[in-house]
Order: sequence, then C-alpha cells, then structure tokens
Amino acid sequence: MVLVGAAVGVALALVAVLIPWLPPSDSKEAVKVDHVYWFVTVICAAIFALVAGVSLFAVWKFRAPPDDTEDGAPIHGHTGLEVVWTAIPAVLVTAITVYSGVVLTQIEDIPKDHRVVEVTGQQFTWSFHYPDGDVTSGQLALPVDEPVELRLTAKDVIHSFWVPEWRMKKDAVPGIDTDLVITPTKQGTYTVICTELCGLGHATMRAQALVMSRSGFDKWLADEKAKAAQAGSAAGKTLFTQQCGTCHTLADAGTQGEVGPDLDKVLAGKNADFVHESIVNPNDEIASGYQPDVMPGNFADVLTDQQLQSLVDYLLDTAGKS
Amino acid sequence: MTVQAPEHEHVVGHEGPPPRRGIRRFTGAGWLRALWVVPLAFGLATGFVLGARALLDYSPLWEFQVLLTAWMVIVPLGFLIAIGGFDYWFYWISGRPTRPEDHSGHGARSWKDYFRVNTDHKVIGVQYLVTTIFFFVAAGLMAMFMRAELARPGMQFVDNNTFNGLFSVHASLMIFLFVIPAFAGLGNYVIPLMIGAPDMAFPRLNALSFWLLPIAGFIMLASFLVPEGGAFAAGWTNYVPLSVQQPPGNLFFQMAVQWAGASSIMTALNFLVTIITMRAPGMSFWRLPLLVWANFATSTLVVLATPFIAGSQFFILFERVLHTNFFEPGGEGYAVGYQHIFWFYSHPAVYIMMLPGFGIASEVIAVFARKPVFGYRLMALSLMAILVLGFSVWAHHMFVSGMSPWLRIPMMATTMLIAVPTGIKVFSWLATLWEGRIHFKTPMLFALGFVSMFVIGGLSGVYLGSIPIDIHASDTYFIVAHIHYVLFGGSLFTIFAGIYYWFPKMTGRMYNERLGKLHFWLTFVGFNVTFFPMHWLGLHGMPRRVSDYADRFGNLNFIISVASFALGASTIVFLYNMIVSWRRGAPAPGNPWRALTLEWQVSSPPPVFNFDEIPQVVGSPYEYGVRGARHAVLNGDRAQVPERERVVSH
Repeated sequence: MVLVGAAVGVALALVAVLIPWLPPSDSKEAVKVDHVYWFVTVICAAIFALVAGVSLFAVWKFRAPPDDTEDGAPIHGHTGLEVVWTAIPAVLVTAITVYSGVVLTQIEDIPKDHRVVEVTGQQFTWSFHYPDGDVTSGQLALPVDEPVELRLTAKDVIHSFWVPEWRMKKDAVPGIDTDLVITPTKQGTYTVICTELCGLGHATMRAQALVMSRSGFDKWLADEKAKAAQAGSAAGKTLFTQQCGTCHTLADAGTQGEVGPDLDKVLAGKNADFVHESIVNPNDEIASGYQPDVMPGNFADVLTDQQLQSLVDYLLDTAGKS
Repeated sequence: MTVQAPEHEHVVGHEGPPPRRGIRRFTGAGWLRALWVVPLAFGLATGFVLGARALLDYSPLWEFQVLLTAWMVIVPLGFLIAIGGFDYWFYWISGRPTRPEDHSGHGARSWKDYFRVNTDHKVIGVQYLVTTIFFFVAAGLMAMFMRAELARPGMQFVDNNTFNGLFSVHASLMIFLFVIPAFAGLGNYVIPLMIGAPDMAFPRLNALSFWLLPIAGFIMLASFLVPEGGAFAAGWTNYVPLSVQQPPGNLFFQMAVQWAGASSIMTALNFLVTIITMRAPGMSFWRLPLLVWANFATSTLVVLATPFIAGSQFFILFERVLHTNFFEPGGEGYAVGYQHIFWFYSHPAVYIMMLPGFGIASEVIAVFARKPVFGYRLMALSLMAILVLGFSVWAHHMFVSGMSPWLRIPMMATTMLIAVPTGIKVFSWLATLWEGRIHFKTPMLFALGFVSMFVIGGLSGVYLGSIPIDIHASDTYFIVAHIHYVLFGGSLFTIFAGIYYWFPKMTGRMYNERLGKLHFWLTFVGFNVTFFPMHWLGLHGMPRRVSDYADRFGNLNFIISVASFALGASTIVFLYNMIVSWRRGAPAPGNPWRALTLEWQVSSPPPVFNFDEIPQVVGSPYEYGVRGARHAVLNGDRAQVPERERVVSH
C-alpha cells in the first residue's frame, strides 16, 4: 500500500512540477501568492496521494470473487484513527489559514508615497485616470518596480479587474470604491481582463496594461496629455479607441470589436445628427441583426459635449472611407 | 413504462374513484380540467392587470414585466388547482365531508397514475426522478451547445446573448431542477421505507411539492421564447445591477426560483416531520441509516436557507417591477448587499446538493464492501458539523467583491474548518473498504468514483479557501472546474449510484449491469478529460462565462469540447439502460444486494403501504459480518424481538 501511495505521490509531484500550472509571476504580489499556492499544493498532493494509495490498494486487495457471499470483517470503527484523521487535517488547514492570512496582509499593505490610478469599468471598456497629470487613457501604464494603488469603481454594473501575471483581482462596483495594490516587476505588455459577467460584451472587455521604465512612463504620460489637448477629429480618434473600439470595428482606428455593428458599414454616408443620436440614444435605431440595450445608454452623461462633438467629427471623417 | 401493480390490491380504498363521464370529466381534478382552467387563469391575470392599470390611469397600459409577473403567479396556481393539488384542502375549508382514510390518490396501477396528483411517496419519488432526468438532459444539451461554441476561439454558432442565456439556464436547471430535486426524489422514495413508515407525514403536501417543480422548469425553459431579449442571461447568480438591467427574460429566473424554492421547503419540512415522528419502534436516531441522517441535515439546511434566495430574487423583482432601490447604486442602494443575501442561501445550497450524496455513498459502500460503515456516529456527527459550519462561510464567494475587508479572514477560517468533517467522511469511507469483500456493481463504481472525484473537488476547494489564491483564481475557469468536480463528480455520481442502487426496488426489475459499467467508465473518463484541464485554463487567464477567448487557449478548449461530447453521449447509454430495463429487465428479487436496511426487506416494488405490519427495529442497519445481528424484525415475528427492545417506542 505504501508503494501504491508513493507511486501516486511521485506521479502527482511530476504533474505538479512538469506542467506549468501558473503563468509567469510578474509582480511582487504574485511571488507571494505563488508561495501560498505551492504550500497548499504540497499539502493537497500528500493528502491526495494518501487517499489514492489507500483506495487503489483496497480496491485491488479486497475485491470479492464473483458469487462470493461472505461478509467483510465487522470493524465498526477505531477511536484512535478517528482522532488522528480529525486532528491532522485540522492542524493542516489551520496552517494554511494562518499563512494565507499573513500573505494577505502583506500583499494588501499600502506603502507610503505611492502612485494612484483611478480605474473605471464600464460596459465594455476600461478607462484609467492619472491624477498626477490629470490624464485619462484607455491603457493602463505603470512604471516598473513602483507600487501603485488602483482605485476601482464602475459606472453601470459590476466588473472585475484582473491581470493574471500579477495574480491580483478586485471587483469594480458601481456606488463604492475598492482598491488594489500592485508592484509590477517586469516590463512588458499585459492584458487587463474583466472577470465578472457584465453583459453581452463581457468576453471582449479587455484593456492593455503597459509596464515600462520610469522615464518611459513619464514620456507616455506627457504624450497622453498632449493627445488629450487635441481637438476635433484627432481627439475623436483617441476617444474612439478607448471607449468604442472594444465593441465596434472601424478600419481607420484599427479596431475589430464584434459586439456591435461594423461602423464602416452602418455609418457610411450618414449625417452628423444620425451619428450623434446613435451614440447618445443607441436604442433609437438598431442595426439589423443586433439587439437593443447592449450598448450603454449613458454616453450623453459620460462624455462632455466637446468630446461628443469630436467623436462625431471623427466618425463622419472616417467611417466607410477606407 | 409500465410498473407492475403492487400485489396488495386488497388494501382498503386502493381501488380508486370510479371513472367520470360526460361533463364531469372536465370538472373533476385532472388534465382535462387544466385545459380550461389554465387559459381562464391567464385571462384573469391579464384582465386584472389591464383593468387595474386602466382604472388607475397608469401608462403604458400594456406593461410587459407587470403582466409577466401576474402570469407567472396566477397561471401556475390555476394549473395546480386544476390538476387537484388543493382539492382536499378546499373540501376541508368549505366544510364538505372529507375522508381521512380516502386513499384513492394513492399508488399507481397504470402509467397514467404517474401523471396525476398522487399521494404515494413511492409514486412521487419516481415522478421526481423522471422529471429531474428530463431537465438534466435539457440542461446537458445546453452545455453541449456551449462546448460547441467554445471548441474554437471566435464566434461560431450562437450570439453573445444566446450564449449567456445558455450558461445561465444550464446552471439554474442543473441546480434547481436536477440536483436538488433528484435527491428529494430519491429521499422521497427511500426514507419512509428506511425508517419503517407507511408513507411520508404529509402525503398531500408531498404531492403538491412535486407539482411545483415542472412549473419551475417550464418557466426556465420558456424564458428562451421571450420576444424581447430571450432567456435570463446574468448567470444563475444574477448579480445586481446587471440583473436589474436585463431584458424581461430575467423575471423568469426570479419566478422559477420561487416555485422551485417553495417545492424544496415543503419537501424538507415533510422529511423533517417524517424522520422525527414516523420512525418505527426501536428506530432510534443512532440506528438511522446514514442516508436518513444526511436528509435530516439537508432538510434543516433547506428550511433555514432557502427563504434567503427566495428573498433575494423577490428583491430583484421589486427593483424591476416596483422600482425599489435595495441594491441599485443609482438610488443609493448597495450592490454587494445582494451578494450577501444570495450566498447566505447559495453556499448552504452546495451542501444541500452534497449531503444527500454523502448518505447515498455511505449506504452503497457499506453494502458492496459487506462491512459496517466505519465510525458510524462520527459520520452522523460530521454531517451535523457541516450543517452548522455551512452557514458561516458564505462570504468566501466574495473575497474579491469589495465587501467589508475584515470579514474575509474569519470566513477563510470557517471555510478551512469545513475540510475537517468532510475529511472525516472521506477517510471513513476508505476505512469501510478496508478488509471488506468489495463487489464492483455499477452503484459501487459510481460511489467509489464519487469519493475520488469529490476529493479532487474538495482539495481545489482548499486552494480557493485560501484568500491569496482565491484572488487569482476566482471568476475563472478554475472555478468552473472546481464546481463541476463537486457537483458533477460529487452530486451527479452519487445520484447515478442511487438510481442504479434502488432501480430494482423502484421498478421491480434489474438494470443491465454491462451497460451500467459502460456508462460509468464513459462518464468517469469523459468527465475528467472535460473538467480537469479547466483548472489550467483558469490559472492561466481564461475567465468564466465567456463565449470567446484568447487564441492560445484554442487547442485545449478543442480537446475539452470533444471530451464533453463523449460525456454527453454517455447519457444515452444511461437512458437506454433505464428505459429498456424498466420495460424488459429481469424481475428483481426483494433484496438483490443482500442489504440490511428496511427498504430491502419488502418486495420489489414494495406494497402500497410499504409494510404489512410496522417493523420492530432491534439493531444497527450496517451489521455486515456480525454473526446473528439483525436490523429489524418484520411480519409479526415478535418472538424474535429481544426482551429489552419490546418496550421501546417513541
């Protein structure tokens, strides 16, 4: 039986180690979460090896021959054993609880002098506001090795912010603020994934997260600020990629969303009133093959008049033209 | 589908009422009366809403959601009245003569008796099982559609709205119309027999609680036909504010949950009263089979917890129809508050869907290992421990929800503690195998499959109980894998074990053992290949409830889809075996498994009132291998009752 258990244990260890069960860990928090993961894995693998060893052995050893009418040994219980298998799991889960609790306080510790980014979820897009430069972007950019506090909220329904390589996740809830601390440790491009079902475009609610050097980040922030200062069609393009591109295809902006209609088709040759109305009252006219109530109806509140105008200008300039 | 008429036709009152003629066929309880009462109820509901709105000068007159609410309350009530669910009580209320000894609604003489309000717990048990298997197949087909869509990245067969509807209805049907009521059906059939009772404590309530179920299932399925927006598509969790913003289809979830929940509560009350008051003489709690213990714990959970999900869905209904603001942030509501109320039911619901399975596993493993259940009393007490702890862990579904942060660590501690009584059960089942003489019949294969799969589901639950890991894994495919290891590997395997185990008792015929084993192996392999890789998908970044995903997950999803189709096909083997064996299987003896519990001491199927004479219980139900030990003395063999037992009554 020990042999069977050991064989299962070795097989499990190989499965646990040889298959990369976790994505790269690219934040300080991820490394700590992974430690908890491995701690739990060792305990669980040992228990599973024990259970599998005993049951495989018992099934092989105590199988009855066909047409056997004997009964097994009348064993009713064993107090010592029962105490052991109550006490040992109790100790193990207490250990997991304590370790998890310690790691939780570590990964949620908010250091002094940290950067803040305000994250807003909205069907079906993310926007990131940087109070430092008073800039809003559709991309999350962070300098490497600096802790940042993400303050999350949502405009319509509950969304959830997740970057698997950072291991951290938190719901963005309308009406309340939640927060999350992340210290990215590796430069690169990541995907922000919405993990809370938020409606028809849930599967496509993604944003880019860029981790860059400090100087790169400062330059990025300045560029974004310059973009925001643009007016007219150029500002409209920025806004479109941030707010509309997840769901709509538009060749000029290079977006390929498929939740809503292809704007190169449905807006070609339309006038400014129609485009404006389609943004603020999307249910007025629904393109054939699409359903009402999918596109958020609150763009009149979310966008300033100037932003709306630039978006309309941009769409009139480009839709169906390339 | 014919079930052999029980051989005890001499029982008074079992001849049934004389057939009705002429117009009386349409006024007496039954489907013909439903033919005109249901449209009438529909008209009344519509007239009431339109009339009231016209009188009060509300605009618009035709408010679809208000009408839907009225329809889904009044039409089902009309249906229940029409088929006779309330007839006896109406007689009583109106002061007309009632006959307590009237058993005309009892027992089945032909297949038609399964389609009317029947007060026999054995008929009701079969009604439950056949109905729930129907919804199991329907919900399973929805899973097949989802896997077809998910076989490749991108959108192929369905649009997002349909996809969201499919997974929402799939989960709702599986939970409320399959797992919970399938256990209620097995319990209904077996519990009175196991405790030596002639029927349930409240047979008419029992009949009524069954007939609420098809209503709930019909409402859920019908939601796909709603003209504006189709089925409810906010997941079975139906989180606010998304659910409040959904098209009218969402109302179908709220109302279906009310009907299914009422059915659950009524059945649970019935089980509790039956188990407490109707045990045969000598059947003390420490002599109850563990299945009865498990249903005792489950029923307590149902009675205490189910009102919370009913409440949570009423709140959403009020938000939608009455424009209240409990949870809507726009009106100063607290969105996370909904989740607390929802999970205060829905976590205990996990145990509602698990404890009866524990009971079935204990019965099956003891019988097919030919050994007493190891540590019987600790097994019963661990059920009660799970019952108590089960109410203190709900917020572990909300570690990333933004709820009060302090609540997380206490909830993690209680969550981890539940692993202890659960572990006791697993270790005791293994110890029951030790030194046994194990017979690998189909029920035993499913019970052993359950133990191994449930261990995996339990251990992934330990991962999720740890907050740092949960922060990473929640709302991903890791969760999908975990809940399917618990509810498929756990609940469904034990339901299959239970159905095969009691099939001879219920139908009087043996199932086909070879097909049963084929079903097991197809299910076991298909299940693991389908769900195990989902752990990896989740950890690597695939969120749950998506119709589309990153291209890098394409190959694994393709393998999962292929395996899931094989898993779906295994159900055909099961259905074929059940239908063919029911019609043409070899006649079953009273006790084909040489089991000691009371249900096996009577004929297969049992007499109308179960026992010719109430048995006298004299010992434990699991004394396999103990020379001279008996569980009960039946059929007037009083001389065999030991002296000290004769005075026992309750």
